[in-house]
Formats: sequence, C-alpha cells, structure tokens
Amino acid sequence: MAREFGFGLVWYDCHTMFLAAILLAAVAAPDLDVLLTPAPGRLAVQVVVGRALPSDWTEALAAGAPVSITYRLRLYRNRHWLWDQRVAAHELVVKAQRDPLTGVFSLVAELDGEILASGQVGTLEEAVRWVTHPPPSEVAVPLRREPLLLFVRAEFLTRYKLLVIPTTVGTDWVQLSVPELP
Amino acid sequence: MKEWRRRWQRYRRQNRFLAAVYLGLLVLAGGAYALFARMAGLPAEQFTNRLLTFLLWWFDLTLIAILLFILLRNFLKLGLERHYGILGSRFRTKLLLSYLGLILIPTSLLFLLSAALLSGAAKAWFSEPVERMARAGVELADGMRAEAEARAARAAGVIAQRVRGITSEPARLAEIERLHAELGDHLTGLLRDGIPVVEFADPRQRILQKLPPLPAEAFKADGVRGERFGGTLVVRAWRRLPDGSAVLVGEALPADLAKAQARLAAGGVAYERLKIERPTITATVVLGFGGLALLVAFAAIWLGLYLSRRFTAPLLALAATTQRIAGGESLEPVPLPAEDEVGMLVGSFNSMVQRLRQRDEELNATVRQLDAVLGAVRTGVLTLDAQRAQVRGNPAAAAMLGVPELATAALPLDALDAAGLARIAETIRTATGPVRGSLTVYPGGLARHLEMAVVPLGGEERPEGWVVALEDLTQLQRAQRLAAWSEVARRIAHQIKNPLTPIRLAAERMARHLERDSPELGEVVTQGSRAIVEHVQAMQEMVDSFSRYAKMPPLARRPVKIGELAGHAVALYQGVREGLRVELVDGSGGREVLLDPDQFRQVLTNLIDNAVEASPPGGAVTVEIGWEGDEAVVTVSDEGSGLKVDDPDLLFQPFYSTKGRGSGVGLAMVQRIVTDHGGTVRLEPNRPHGAVAVVHLPGGEP
Repeated sequence: MAREFGFGLVWYDCHTMFLAAILLAAVAAPDLDVLLTPAPGRLAVQVVVGRALPSDWTEALAAGAPVSITYRLRLYRNRHWLWDQRVAAHELVVKAQRDPLTGVFSLVAELDGEILASGQVGTLEEAVRWVTHPPPSEVAVPLRREPLLLFVRAEFLTRYKLLVIPTTVGTDWVQLSVPELP
Repeated sequence: MKEWRRRWQRYRRQNRFLAAVYLGLLVLAGGAYALFARMAGLPAEQFTNRLLTFLLWWFDLTLIAILLFILLRNFLKLGLERHYGILGSRFRTKLLLSYLGLILIPTSLLFLLSAALLSGAAKAWFSEPVERMARAGVELADGMRAEAEARAARAAGVIAQRVRGITSEPARLAEIERLHAELGDHLTGLLRDGIPVVEFADPRQRILQKLPPLPAEAFKADGVRGERFGGTLVVRAWRRLPDGSAVLVGEALPADLAKAQARLAAGGVAYERLKIERPTITATVVLGFGGLALLVAFAAIWLGLYLSRRFTAPLLALAATTQRIAGGESLEPVPLPAEDEVGMLVGSFNSMVQRLRQRDEELNATVRQLDAVLGAVRTGVLTLDAQRAQVRGNPAAAAMLGVPELATAALPLDALDAAGLARIAETIRTATGPVRGSLTVYPGGLARHLEMAVVPLGGEERPEGWVVALEDLTQLQRAQRLAAWSEVARRIAHQIKNPLTPIRLAAERMARHLERDSPELGEVVTQGSRAIVEHVQAMQEMVDSFSRYAKMPPLARRPVKIGELAGHAVALYQGVREGLRVELVDGSGGREVLLDPDQFRQVLTNLIDNAVEASPPGGAVTVEIGWEGDEAVVTVSDEGSGLKVDDPDLLFQPFYSTKGRGSGVGLAMVQRIVTDHGGTVRLEPNRPHGAVAVVHLPGGEP
C-alpha cells in the first residue's frame, strides 16, 4: 500500500505538516506569559518566558559562563488626553552560572538589586526552567485614579548590527492592564 | 595661551555659554547615571567592555558630529559665497572637495579594511579548534567528576548491598570498616537521619571528616553530590538501607588534580565569557578603529581647511586687489605678508604696483602737461574713443564749436548734431582713415571757417581712437581775403592804368594838334581814336574775364570719360601754330571721372592755351591722362622757357601774369575749378625745359 500510494502518502504527510505548522503558528504561545496577582497596594507579577532561549545563551550557560535574563517591568498611568506617564520601573535580573567543577548551576534572582530568590540545580534543563520561570516579583502600585498599564519585557543578550549598532535580543514588550487592587 | 585665557575670560561672562556648560554637564551626569544604573548588575569584565564600548560610541559620535558640523558649515559657507559670487569661493570649494576626497577615501578604505580584518581576526580567535579545546577542559572536568561520582555511587551501592542483610549493629559496623579498607574509599560511613553513626576516613584524606553534613532531606533517596571543599572536589554518594539508615561513601580528588581541573574549567569558562562578549569586543575594536579613523580624518580635514585658508588667503587678497584695480580703484599693494612662492608672487605684484604707480604719476603729469598745452593752444582738438561714440575737446575746440561742455566732459557724438555741427559729426563718423578738409560752421549764428583733420590713432586698420584737429581760419581767411582783394585791386588798377596811359597820351596828342590846328590833326585823331578804341576794347575784355571769373556757375558733375574729353580738347589745337605739335597720351583706359565737363574743358583749354603760348616753334605740347590709385592725373607739358617765378603758386593768384598781356585769371580759374572738383593742381618745371601742369582729380569710377 505504501508503495502503491507513496505519492499520496507523501502529499498527505506534507499537507498535514503544513496545516500543523499553520495551527502552531496560530496558537503559538506568546514570547512572554505574565500573570498578575493583585494584593493590597502591591502587585505580584509572575513572568514566564514562552520561547526558546537563544542558543548562544544556553551554550554559554552550559559551558560555565555567567548569563542572565533581565525582566523589565514598567508601570504607566494610562492618561486619556496626554501621553502615558511612567510611575514605576523595576528590573528583575535572573543570573545563572554553572560551576564546571561540581556541575552545579547557581541561580540568583534580584529585583532592583535586592536578592529575591536563589537556588542550585544540577541540570541545564532545570536551570533554564528556573531562569525562564523566575519567582513572582512583587511591585508596589501607587494609588491612581487613572487605569494603570504594565509593560513587561525579557532581555537575553546584546548583539550588534553592522558590527557596531547595539541591539537587545529579547521578547517584545507585553502590555497588560493592571487589575483593581483589593 | 594668552589667547585662550582671553577667550575664556570673554566667554565665561556670557550667560548662554554658562547655561550651555551647565546643561552639558547635566546631560553628561544623567547619561553616566543611566549607564551605571543599566550596567550595575554586570560582572566587572562585562562592565568594562560595555563602558569602553559606550565611551568609544560617545567619542565616535562626537567626532562624527564635529566633522559633520565642520563640513556642513564650510559647505554652507562656500555655497553662500558661490551664490553671492564672492571671490575665491570656487577655488576653495575645489580645494575642499579635493581634500575631502584625498582624506576620506583612503581613510574609509583603511577603516573598512581594518574592520574586516578585525572581524576576521575575532572569528579566528573563536574558531572551532579553539572552541573544542576550551570545551574540552569543561568536559574533562565534567568527566572526572562524573567518574568520581560513579565510583562513589558504585562503592556506596556495593557496601549497601553487603550490609543490607546484617541486622547486628556491631557486625554491620565491622563489615563497613572491612569494606572501607577493602574498597579503599576515602570516606565510608553509616548515617541515620543524616547524623553519622560511624565514619571511616583515609588518614591521608582527613579533610573529608571536616565536611559539613549533608541536609537530612537529601537522604530521603539515594544520591550523589560533588562539592568544592578544601581546595579540591569532594564527591559524596549515599544509598539508603531498609531500616532508614544510609551508607555514605566520599571521595576527594587529589588537590593538584582538582586545581588543574579547575584551571582547565576556568579557561573554558573564560573562553565562553569572551565568546558571549565577542560582539561587544568586536564592536569595541571596530569603534576604536573607527574613532582612530575619524580622528585622522578630523585632523586631516582641519589641517586641510587651515592650510587651504593659509594658502588661499594671499592669493585671494591678490585676486581681490587685482579685481579692485580692474574695477577702476587706485593701485594698492597687497598688504598680506607671505613667505613662500606665493609671497614672491605677492612681492612681485607689489613691485609691479609700485612701478605702475610711478608710471601712473608720470602719465598723470604728462596728461596734465598735455591738458595745459591743449588748453593753451588755439588749435581745437577733439578726441574720440575707438567707436566714436564719445567726444571730448579742449577749450579751443569748445569755443570754436560753441559747445562749452566739450571742454569739461565727454559728450556723445550726437551732441554735435544737436549743436548744429552735423557736418563735423558726419565727417568724423564716416572717416575710414585720415581726412582733411575745410568747412564752415555757424555756432551762435556766426560763421566760422574751419580747417579740419581727422586722424585715427594706432593705425587705420583697427584704430584705438580718433583725434580731430580744428584750425579756425576765419580770421586768416578774412585777412587773406583782404590781402587778396588789395592785390586784386592793385592789379586791376595796374591793368586799368596800362591802357589808360596810352588813351590819355592819345587824347593829349589830339588836343595839342587841335590847339595848334595842326594839319596832321585828322591823321592824329584817326590814330588816337584807334588807339583809344583798342585800349578800351582791351579793357572791355579784361572786365569780361573778371566777370567770368566772378560768376563761375555751380558744378554739374556727371560721369565723364576723361580720355574722350581730353581728346576733343586736343583736337581743337591741331595746326594752331605752324610747326607745333599738340599730342594726347591717353592712359585713362576709358574710365570715367565724376566732373563737370564744361568747366573741366575750360581747365584743359586754359592749360593748353598757356602751353601753346609758351612753346617755341617746332616744340610740342603733350596732354597725358593717367591714374594714380583712384585719382585721375592730367598733365599738360610744354617745352617753353619754363616757370619764371620762384613760387609757382603765385601763378594761380587772380590777375597775376608774367606774360604782360591777358587778364591773369586763366590759372586762377583752373585752380578754382579743380579745387571745386576736390582735386589739386600744381605747376612744375619740365625736364629738360619747359613747364608742366599736373592736375589730380579724385573719385574716378572704375
């Protein structure tokens, strides 16, 4: 049968793969998943990177080079007639480094320079999962009349276009409306 | 230094300058703060790289901004200068573009080449073999650790297997001690709830006894862990036993080996760090070279601009001075000092200016002298340009022509037309070479008889100007006319007195004979009356000739074949005297001359009459017609006794005669008719003897 319907099977397989690719593209997970958990006067921001990290990044981590992911959190007042006003900016830096002697990955998450969490894992996958699923960051939310917007982005590496023009490799900015705080 | 201090003293008082400095410092401080805040979490090495990159960026951008500012400013300035036609702008533009081409092209090529080489070199640093070698260190460390972990885990497993069935605690401990010795582990122990029950350590590896205990949670399952401790790598593996206790086996790598392994791993890590920073390093190096290239370009452009200014300044000053001089300003030396070849040029120019000034002064002195002379002379002088559009005159000319403005300013030639001097203006306009003539003008209603000569300056082909000399002959002509009339009156009196004497004598004789009642009275009366009649008749003829001379009719010129006219005249004299030959040599070629045939026939008749009369028997009178250029030449020659006066022109005066008979107006009429035709007539001695009359007539038609 396979010999008899070889072309048909090949066509069927290609067609299926094409459709699957379209569906994957349509329902592909966003680069950055952000879960907001309101608390009195505060907002817990859980960020998850939904895309694969750059190979340079993972190779460097596996080889023992210190690497990090910087999550930028920007809180804006959504003003109707004027431009949005930034009211807060936070930076969550998740650092990872493998000890090549022991093979242990040391992980540290710092929010605005303050250590938020740290840990050690034994495998690269665990380390990648740790840095792409950092602990939730609690940020203070000022009381405002206007609705607030939260912009989040993850930055992995710095590269250079035309050798000298720096560009940041990361996700796009994700915009979320800050829910009412209890 | 003083200049800088002076500038600073001047600038620091300016509020704008202070505000700009303040804002600049503010921006710099803000930028530095943002930069440090952004890079606060970076490792020192990355921080250095990023800071260096940023500084190089700042340096390059500053240089690019300065370069662009300088170039745009200079191009804008040159563009405006070219737009307004300022001297030297085109030259400076070409110079600047040449400099830019000479500087930017090689610098850019050098920079691109350097960037490509550096990029290639950076790739070479991170080549596959190097990467394999660097990773091999890490892999070696991983492998050795994995080996140690496997060994420890295997030993822990073996021991756990052996003691699993031993229920007696002392027997278990003894078996563990035996196995420790047998297997040669560095550390063997039994732990319960994470607390060591017994630990057997290799005396050479007592460091293992100082190891901190593993957390109790770790013993919930079998496991293995490697740790840095005491400058080496320690591996601990444990296996749970059914009673909840755990067998622990530890192994410490030899310190030297661990250190070597750590160095190898550190090399690999350093390589990876470098690799991850490779783009930044490349950018830093490229930016560094870019900055260097920009610095070179900046220095070269600045130097080029400075040199072009320094080089062109004397030339521009020289050109500006020459342009001012060409524009009619006074001769000035170039004030800019220079020392090189341009300086020589400027020096030569200044010497030339000096000499020209001297010549100018000499020329001015000459002109002043000439002005004085022209102002003093009684001859009127008019000067005109090559196009004969403008005319100036000396005071004498202005007075002669009745146009006082001529003496003070140049007037258009048309002004002479307007002043009633159209004949002068027309003569000047139509002159193609030297022209002489006389004319009568009526400035202010008074007649002035002028002798006029128009002379081109610098050759007839391409005259550089024209000079007109005017001689006022009014007084002279009046005096001459008076003198001529006196002479005429004297001659007329003489002519009249000549016949009057014989008349008076005849009358006195007749009266005497009548008083004496002389028998010869009848004869005397007859003779006397005959003599009286003869002399009165002569007087009548003389008066008639006066009348003819005075009443010369106006010329009626038409083209006449002068050869034929002369032939007719000569024909009338054939056989007029015995033995006299009257011959015609006609070299006219049948050409025509514009003349009044009746009056010119009178000229020929008078001249041939005189020649015939002067010719001896057997002589010859020759009438010859020829051409000299455009002039017809008529000569009448005889072989008589020749001219009897020193000045032949006297013979052309009216009533002047050397013959003792005749009225003496024949040659005067000849001269008058020839002059009225615009020609000339003169008398010359003939060779070997005799006289010749030469008549020139203008305007022969070919």
